[in-house]
Amino acid sequence: MATEAPAARVVVRGGAPRRRGRGTRSSENLAGWLFVAPVVAILGLFLLLPILMALWVSLTDWNGQGSPFTRNVPFVGVENYTRLFAEDGLARRDLMTSLRNNIYYVGIVVPAQTILALGLALVVNNRMLKGKGFFRSAFYFPSVTSSVAISVVFLFLFANSGAVNKLLSLFGVAGPQWFADSRGVLHLLLGALGVDDPPAALTGGGPFGLSWWEWLSGPSVAMVSIITLVVWTTSGTFMLMFLAALQNVPVTLDEASTLDGAGRWQRLRYVTLPMIRPTMFLVVTLGLIGSWQVFDQVYVMSQGDPAKTTLTPAYLSYRTAFREFDYGSGAAISFVLFLIIIVLTLIQRRVMADRDPVARRRGRWRRRVPEGS
Amino acid sequence: MAVLTDRPPVAAKPARRRRARRSLVSRVLGYATLIFFGLVFLYPFVIQLGNSFKTEPDAAANPLSPIPDPLTLAGFERIFAGTNFPLWLGNSLLVTVLVTVGRVFFDSLAGYALARLRFRGRSWLFAMVVAVMAVPPVVLLIPKFLVLNQLGIYNSYSGLIVPLLADAAGVFIMKQFFESIPVSVEEAARIDGASVFRTFWSVVLPMAKPALITLTILSFQGSWNEFPHSLVAVQDPDLFTLPRGLADLVSGSLGKGSQYPLKLGAALLATIPVAIIFVVFQRYFVRDANDGSDKG
Amino acid sequence: MAPRPLARVAVAGLAAVALLGSAACGSGFDDSSEGTAQSSGPASLQILIGSSGDAETKAVQDAAAKWAGESGNTATVTPAQDLTQQLGQGLAGGTPPDVFYVDAAQFADYASVGALEPYGDKISNTGDFYESLRTAFTYDGKLYCAPKDFSTLALQINTDLWTKAGLTDADIPTTWDQLTATAQKIKAKGQVPLALGDTRDRVGAFMVQNGGWLMSEDGKQPTADTPENLAALQYVKDLVTKGLAQYPKQLDAGWSGEAFGRGKAVMTIEGNWIKGALQNDFPNVKYQVVPLPAGPKGPGTLSFTQCWGIAAKSKYKEQAIKFVEAMTAGEQQMAFARAFGVMPSRQSVHDQYVSAFPADKPFIDGVEYAQGPVNAPKMDSVLRDLEAGLQALSTGDPKTILANFDKNAKAALGD
Repeated sequence: MATEAPAARVVVRGGAPRRRGRGTRSSENLAGWLFVAPVVAILGLFLLLPILMALWVSLTDWNGQGSPFTRNVPFVGVENYTRLFAEDGLARRDLMTSLRNNIYYVGIVVPAQTILALGLALVVNNRMLKGKGFFRSAFYFPSVTSSVAISVVFLFLFANSGAVNKLLSLFGVAGPQWFADSRGVLHLLLGALGVDDPPAALTGGGPFGLSWWEWLSGPSVAMVSIITLVVWTTSGTFMLMFLAALQNVPVTLDEASTLDGAGRWQRLRYVTLPMIRPTMFLVVTLGLIGSWQVFDQVYVMSQGDPAKTTLTPAYLSYRTAFREFDYGSGAAISFVLFLIIIVLTLIQRRVMADRDPVARRRGRWRRRVPEGS
Repeated sequence: MAVLTDRPPVAAKPARRRRARRSLVSRVLGYATLIFFGLVFLYPFVIQLGNSFKTEPDAAANPLSPIPDPLTLAGFERIFAGTNFPLWLGNSLLVTVLVTVGRVFFDSLAGYALARLRFRGRSWLFAMVVAVMAVPPVVLLIPKFLVLNQLGIYNSYSGLIVPLLADAAGVFIMKQFFESIPVSVEEAARIDGASVFRTFWSVVLPMAKPALITLTILSFQGSWNEFPHSLVAVQDPDLFTLPRGLADLVSGSLGKGSQYPLKLGAALLATIPVAIIFVVFQRYFVRDANDGSDKG
Repeated sequence: MAPRPLARVAVAGLAAVALLGSAACGSGFDDSSEGTAQSSGPASLQILIGSSGDAETKAVQDAAAKWAGESGNTATVTPAQDLTQQLGQGLAGGTPPDVFYVDAAQFADYASVGALEPYGDKISNTGDFYESLRTAFTYDGKLYCAPKDFSTLALQINTDLWTKAGLTDADIPTTWDQLTATAQKIKAKGQVPLALGDTRDRVGAFMVQNGGWLMSEDGKQPTADTPENLAALQYVKDLVTKGLAQYPKQLDAGWSGEAFGRGKAVMTIEGNWIKGALQNDFPNVKYQVVPLPAGPKGPGTLSFTQCWGIAAKSKYKEQAIKFVEAMTAGEQQMAFARAFGVMPSRQSVHDQYVSAFPADKPFIDGVEYAQGPVNAPKMDSVLRDLEAGLQALSTGDPKTILANFDKNAKAALGD
């Protein structure tokens, strides 16, 4: 089945073996396929095939009884999808609520972890400091631990009488009841400004079944604790990436600009940041991809509660399928999420590529390992 | 990072003194920042350790203190007597060992083929591997469940292990590494008449030790911490791995109350293996993260 | 990624999938729409229970072992961490347990998709089960499964804290007004008056006390958006916003019973399962049980029940029915009652139960005015949405919550 592959046009990179006689090549052909066979089988069976199966299920009304691939399963076309977007009902409300939650989540997590990671990397990269190795490891350690185990720790930290509230009380602040508090942060801010009741203009209507007031809630207090956890765990990984990039910034360049009388801030702004722009792009993209996938923490810490304010599309799809036995709808939500992640990646890529001709010419970041977080 | 405001230069002082003082200030600030964030990143683990040895009322009353008063092993006793922790541990070990061995072997086989062997469809296969790396794992929850079901390995050790036996990122890492090894060595072996597999196994693989260690650590850490897959691959409590057992301990409907010392202790035990590996093989972890920006 | 490799990948992916797909088909679980082949002789029964705690797990395990020993079968009892999810995956995977708890609230979901074996006519003396319980497990006119037991809600009072707050028996609330008054007294002493679960299974009781309920009597029409329900929710909202009642999460507890056991609240509203839980986890708590305060329209409570479901795909249905028969025998039900505080589903042991547990009178008496759970199929997400509303009741609008329920329920019941 590989015959159409335009092998001849491919420029082989690296040290490819030189051409030899015919016999060797055909044996290499066989060996090559044998070598990749296990990986092809596993990835094909458990990655590609499932995607197609789920695509089929998302077009049916399978209720979880018996096989979804028989004639008895009602085919409903794109109904599961239209219900998610076009029909005013619970399915759409839930999806939109989860999208809203995740948008706020992404909107805070990505900038916060990027800035924190860059800041840590700049400090750790400081040539004048000793013991950096220890701190580098300390910052990175949370990234390698199990998301479930860490969630357990943060459940304890953010309990109402937990460490975080104890710490806050040392400063005279009465901490909120984190996981019971469904109030949106933006609503709270407005409340502090005296806007307790939503203006009628915002409650009347809004896109996709949620009122503008609901869209503008901000992340709930409960979500803030999950956001804190995630920023805390992922910053270390991104710090290492920034660190590697910073170490490639030539010392002479830095020194030259110091002699020119450039302040720290100017050096960072005009020398360092442009040099590490490809890494910046990588970190932001990986952050975007990763933070749309938040699942483990929600499963362990809040299960979408309180009042659906920590519901995310990933968790919603899981719940719809495995707890409400509406596998078609659940699979459809998965595909919506899939699409969001792919589209975001493509948009981001285009934007950064247009703004950064150097990176485009080098094209280095294009084939980089995107590790899901 | 501290933004320092430059003071107006005082004419009498030589520039060197001024710079020395400024560097002292920035050094102090640098250390302060390091220590502050060091606490932020490590203190939660200290709290976890301390509280797992506390009594429940003590943990509730003094969550910030790392010192248990009184010190008790009750939490840990309940972990081993009251939960299925030993079983989860056994399952986790089994899964982790098999998955790690499988990934290291299959990924390096494929990585070698993609780097060195010329076979038809190699280029698109590699493009596919790259594409597969972009598939977000959580959208595969329902799909994976469906396929395991259809293959009849749902709720079994095979279902828990086989789908994890290869990963695209590992193939990618190995391919990059093999390409960095000079070809001449293999050529010599080939001319001596060694088969492709033999060349791979006895000549190339030993040279790939650093990459193999990196991949081993990554696979170990990945499969030890793997949670969503076990969520959709098994439902029999006898097949639970540590993260799955831990998650159900926390969120399950057993209604046994908060029991924080017990939960923190169980989470701690689940963290220890990865922590040990991390301390011992630190530089390989670091290297992996750097691979992201160095290679490509 | 450049466009060309992408297209190539797509083609390749499809080719690979087609190949693998054709190889994979044909294997997999059988999908017989007919009855599953039955095995006779000694069976090995898998029993999945949603346990309320160690006491229940042990009691059921003991009973199953006894039955297995006497009948020559084996029976493995597994407590589910999350019954709904485990059962759902088991059913979809074609490997469900043979016998499992089915909650009345989910019964219709399972029955409507044919997951349950309707064995009601094969169990002896079904007339002995309370009629309301039989109704809860009847679908399309067929009794599907035997009610395991039932429970109702009542008010628990921590007597030590009660006295400490300077309250006497005269303060025990019997109406909403008294509840408010007593709660205010407790709050004035700096304690949390009432721990209240933020679910329909607790808050719903107030609706019943005000003459309302979520569904019409035949269970076919949603009736949430009524003045009665609105007033009830408004009352609960008042309790919550004034700090007279607190949700368990606000009290750092997984459920109200835990908060109550820790002495974080003076009163709570729970069912008879709280007895066993307190005995196990907080044996030193002294408390008394009284009927829920009556609302403007009289007394009201909620009842809960589960049945012993048998999987339609079980290979050992005959043996499973015998197992259920043994588990629902009057004597066995009394043993369960003694072990973990549930009330027998058979009327024939009613008197025996009352004389054994006189302190449970408020629970048993609740049967007279109790409202059963919503048991229509496809309602899970609707009810969940209602609960999300209840969780945010302190800032939410009761009218909107109720109206949303009606709208969503109509949509769910419509198709």
